[in-house]
Amino acid sequence: MSTASETFPREIAAPAAAVSTRPAQPFRLAEAAGVDRKNLLDFTFDGQRYSGHSGDTLASALLASGVRLVGRSFKYHRPRGILSAGPEEPNAIVELRDGARREPNTRATVAELFQGLTATSQNRWPSLRFDVMGVNQFVAPILAAGFYYKTFMWPASFWEKVYEPLIRRAAGLGRASGSHDPDHYEKTTTHCDVLVIGAGPAGLMAALAAVRAGARVVLCEEDFLLGGRLLSERRMIGNRSALEWLREAEAELRAAPECRILRRTSVFGVFDGAYGAVERVGDHLPVPPMFQPRQRLWRIIAKRHVLCAGSLERPLVFGDNDRPGVMLAGAVRTYVNRFGVAPGRRAVVFANNDDAARTVADLAAAGVAVAALVDARAEVTPEISRIAEAAGAKLLAGARITETRGRLALRGAVVTDAAGTRHNFDCDLLAMSGGWSPTVHLTSHHGGKPVWSEAKAAFLPPSHLPPGMAVAGAATGDPLLADCLASGAQAGAEAARLAGFQTSLPAIPETDGESAELQPLWRVRGGKGKAFVDFQNDVAASDVALAQREGFRAVEHLKRYTTLGMATDQGKTSNVNGLALMAEFNERTIAQTGTTTFRPPYTPVSVGVLAGRHRGHEFRPTRLTPTHDWATEQGAVFVETGPWLRAQYFPRPGEADWLVTATREARAVREAVGLCDVSTLGKIDIQGPDAAVLLDRVYANNFASLPIGRVRYGVMLREDGFVMDDGTTARLAGDRFLMTTTTANAVSVSRHLDFCSQWLWPELDVQMISVTEQWAQIAVAGPRSRAVIEGVVDAGFDISNAAFPYMSCAELTICGGLKARLFRISFSGELAYELAVPARYGDALMRRLMEIGKPLGVTPYGIEALGVLRVEKGHPAGNELSGQTTAADIGLGRMMSKTKDFIGKAMAQRAGLTATDRPVLVGIRPWDRAARLRAGAHFLARNVENLAANDEGYVTSVAYSPALGHWIGLGLLQRGTERLGEVVRAYDPVRGGDLEVEIVSPVLVDPTGDRLRG
Amino acid sequence: MVEIGLLSRSPLAAVLQPGHYGQPGQDGLVVQERTGLHIVNLAARRGQGGALAVAVQRSWGLELPTTPRRAGDGRLAFLWSGGAQWLAIAEGTGDLELSLKDRLGSLASLTDQSDGRSVLRLSGSRTRETLAKGLAIDLHPRAFTPGDTALTLAGHIGVQIWQLDDTPSYEIAVARGYAGSLIGWLLPAGEEFGITVLPPG
Amino acid sequence: MRIICPLCGERGAEEFVYHGDATVRRPHPDSSAETWNAYVHLRDNPAGRHSELWYHAAGCHAWLVVERDVRTHEIFAVTLAQDVALARRPVTA
Repeated sequence: MSTASETFPREIAAPAAAVSTRPAQPFRLAEAAGVDRKNLLDFTFDGQRYSGHSGDTLASALLASGVRLVGRSFKYHRPRGILSAGPEEPNAIVELRDGARREPNTRATVAELFQGLTATSQNRWPSLRFDVMGVNQFVAPILAAGFYYKTFMWPASFWEKVYEPLIRRAAGLGRASGSHDPDHYEKTTTHCDVLVIGAGPAGLMAALAAVRAGARVVLCEEDFLLGGRLLSERRMIGNRSALEWLREAEAELRAAPECRILRRTSVFGVFDGAYGAVERVGDHLPVPPMFQPRQRLWRIIAKRHVLCAGSLERPLVFGDNDRPGVMLAGAVRTYVNRFGVAPGRRAVVFANNDDAARTVADLAAAGVAVAALVDARAEVTPEISRIAEAAGAKLLAGARITETRGRLALRGAVVTDAAGTRHNFDCDLLAMSGGWSPTVHLTSHHGGKPVWSEAKAAFLPPSHLPPGMAVAGAATGDPLLADCLASGAQAGAEAARLAGFQTSLPAIPETDGESAELQPLWRVRGGKGKAFVDFQNDVAASDVALAQREGFRAVEHLKRYTTLGMATDQGKTSNVNGLALMAEFNERTIAQTGTTTFRPPYTPVSVGVLAGRHRGHEFRPTRLTPTHDWATEQGAVFVETGPWLRAQYFPRPGEADWLVTATREARAVREAVGLCDVSTLGKIDIQGPDAAVLLDRVYANNFASLPIGRVRYGVMLREDGFVMDDGTTARLAGDRFLMTTTTANAVSVSRHLDFCSQWLWPELDVQMISVTEQWAQIAVAGPRSRAVIEGVVDAGFDISNAAFPYMSCAELTICGGLKARLFRISFSGELAYELAVPARYGDALMRRLMEIGKPLGVTPYGIEALGVLRVEKGHPAGNELSGQTTAADIGLGRMMSKTKDFIGKAMAQRAGLTATDRPVLVGIRPWDRAARLRAGAHFLARNVENLAANDEGYVTSVAYSPALGHWIGLGLLQRGTERLGEVVRAYDPVRGGDLEVEIVSPVLVDPTGDRLRG
Repeated sequence: MVEIGLLSRSPLAAVLQPGHYGQPGQDGLVVQERTGLHIVNLAARRGQGGALAVAVQRSWGLELPTTPRRAGDGRLAFLWSGGAQWLAIAEGTGDLELSLKDRLGSLASLTDQSDGRSVLRLSGSRTRETLAKGLAIDLHPRAFTPGDTALTLAGHIGVQIWQLDDTPSYEIAVARGYAGSLIGWLLPAGEEFGITVLPPG
Repeated sequence: MRIICPLCGERGAEEFVYHGDATVRRPHPDSSAETWNAYVHLRDNPAGRHSELWYHAAGCHAWLVVERDVRTHEIFAVTLAQDVALARRPVTA
């Protein structure tokens, strides 16, 4: 201690200076299986500098430095220390790192130490200023880290009135960084024959058996070292130390070409057909290495799965069992043997089983005094007596711990023996063991319920396991090392065999003797203080009793009422004790009481790793048109339409907003000529002798009658009678059509056509394939469009009005022999063409058309102007084809053939779809021509209340019409066709609009169609 | 190729420049955009699958695959591409569609897809690990060998992949409009292994 | 969930699009309104084995009939929908 008290103040006095002497680690032992004593690492906790070694966790390094108090409990803000040495940790929850990489609610017991690690305790008070003061008054390592907490524990009257409300306001434990995560995450998939989960003795044996059979094996270990409990115990395998056996097994697996070992990888869920795992690639480093993700999500697709997840030790439930210094016995052995850390100077061990006696032996071997072994059982084996005697520990059989002392650190424990006599022990470490619970979480991810075994006092894997899963090792409920090795070998060999490999069982090495006899002790009665069941959620035995008294007796109710089993540890240390108490209070068995359902994830998984690369503009892929780069050069503003990015408008300098630009573009089409990339429209090549038959069945109108070289507008319905999509289809040959769909429905129409040809009418001889991407298609629209087209079409092709009238199509060549397709179709209502070329030439064609059209006033236009032009012509588009409109609703009722069957025909005759009062497509213009229309406004008669009951339809699309000089719109109005000339209101409560509008024909520009036929 | 007055442009012109990317000094992945490929989709007319196979065998000496396989070589290959459907892929200057039409007549519906797909050649020792970050299919040599092909997803993008040899090298075809997004996935996925992008060829 | 496409092999469910009941048959055009209504709108919702239509959207574009237990996602059989459809009706000349 004197070393520490001399060292710390000097360092604090000059924190920025180079440090020649590192902070001492007064609790570090000479021997450690898993840390590299030569490699020193510096880290800080709550601003205080400490040192540790590579191979340490934050928890082990803190313990080595004498830090016991690491946080405050969630509800009562009780001082808490480190309970465990693994993922089950409920207490030692800290913030790791700082700045944008700050990560809240991280378990110190699994946080691998790295140089420069910064950790901060959570859910505690003081301010940073007080932190510094506390450090300045640092006296001794054990007390020091918690000094400042003391300040705020006192006066007690402040606790509830001042401190607690303040702290509660900040509840939720850790703080998110609030900044963008600077690291990236990725996802990957791997396939294998055998997935082994857990690399303890069972998992290693399973992997060895499967690898030797030649199977492709993936071995996942959530720790950064392989070995599981072998690292924590002093055991013998085959007349050697278990660590030696471990080294050999690991070497063999590493050398096997078909074995992939994933360390730092938690398998968190069993899904349908795949297991999910997170590999913490960069969590143990200050920042991930260049080009490496912070974490990687593994989707593991395996033929067979062997779960060797081990088991988790249960705390004992007794008064004030949460003081810093009360620790799980197995964790004590982990700190002593693996990390070379004494979690205390003087220990008491309290257990109800044989296994815990090892703790006494290991502590004694490490030089830690063991004051007493308190065994709850009335009788103990001679072996346990021998261990206690050898360690100089007083053995108290049939005894209980009924009281603990110390506030910020454990100072002592009171043991009440079978005769009722109290024994007072000074101790700063209390190792407890209530037995071990198999880690069965993954076994029940497919709905199987773990089964209670009275004999083993544990929930065992359900009989109905996820398909392909086998369980081996301590996860089966048989924790003895010899059994683990045997069951692992057996399960690994069997898994390989079932995956199609010839296998033989590997030799199973002998182990030293052991025993895991246990007699359940679910709580200590008559003790003093709160007896915690769930440390993370501050649920005490009395809370379970209260829940029971208040009627929350089902396990799922108990969980939700008390929060037992929630939060980051998901009840790993608390569930079984909680259920046992509820069973006791209900006077039922544990089997009758049941257990809550385990669902993924087994351990916390960051949202970032689930998203992987799919965030920001990589959230989903983007589809680009052949003229995208050209449009970018033109300064186009793009808009997402489905996966596509389309040019929305092409602003010119000085144009105030999109409306000015779109108006100019639309006017140019009406008055001169415009160019628009329409490649995004779905294009489907339909061939075969029955192509026309299929079209007749999917379109409401006729296509068999369409002559070669002609184009027809078609509308297709869904089978329920509503409109599905529309577009033009050209007949290129007797047995070949080119269908176009809307951009939005291209994929679903393709799927629909496949449905029709494969499922409804499989006898049709028709072949279909999307050619959307094969062709760049450019609309050339406006009175001067023919001149532009003539500039590219090769000699010999006559595109005069007589030779190539409206709704013609031709395969021809342009620009000196380039295969192209020309369609005389018009969405704008002007003389217009769509010219298609192989997509690689789309960019050059657009540039050529711009060049040729320059003297003609050619103007590129985007989909805003396209929208203006189509509203002027009354063409329905997405807003009108809403999935709730019939062909008749949008003025296409006459297209529905009476002479043939087609999809949707029967249901379109339904009374509801043919009712005369359905809203139908109309045009509107504002009574006050200067007024601006808004889509979404509802039609109401002029003198009615603004009630939904009076609603007569709504405005679907609006546009400012350059041709007419005012706003116009389309809408769906009840009995609209009878109401031309009527004035109704367009009522828009959302935006405060209430305008009078006149009902007019939807076709407001060139109603006779002279222009497009010109 | 026809002598035309328009320049072709790759969808990757702005996003895939030759050079080295990612981990310096390493070449785990080599990427090359394929150019000059003629790609024609063949879909057998109903009941003509057998006759089509015979015609392909007679004309080119190749066995039209009935499983996800590729028959042929770089000059001409038939790539299984769905039920009774194949992609014929050829290098060179001839008109593939015309030559197929001449020999196969009305046994199959033919559709030019030369511009509908972008094709990348991927090779290098870490190609499989790179691809695993997007493709969920098993590319392990025990499961996927030279000549095998698959239609699947790379991330959220539909692709067709086929293996050329066991160095390993692959070609991967993607709808032209998604080519940029595919590169946007591929380069970050491979950067930890080091990437060389070769000039198109 | 993983579905074995008869053409492509085993793939994850993300490659497929679900459609629905594969036991209903499109009625004759002259069928009654009730028959059409049943075809378009009425579906059984069995807890257990069901016959469903799926589309291999990210693969070969084949429609599939998948026999599946909708409670456990266990798949018993996958058949090309076209084969199922051809088997149930005579091929027209």
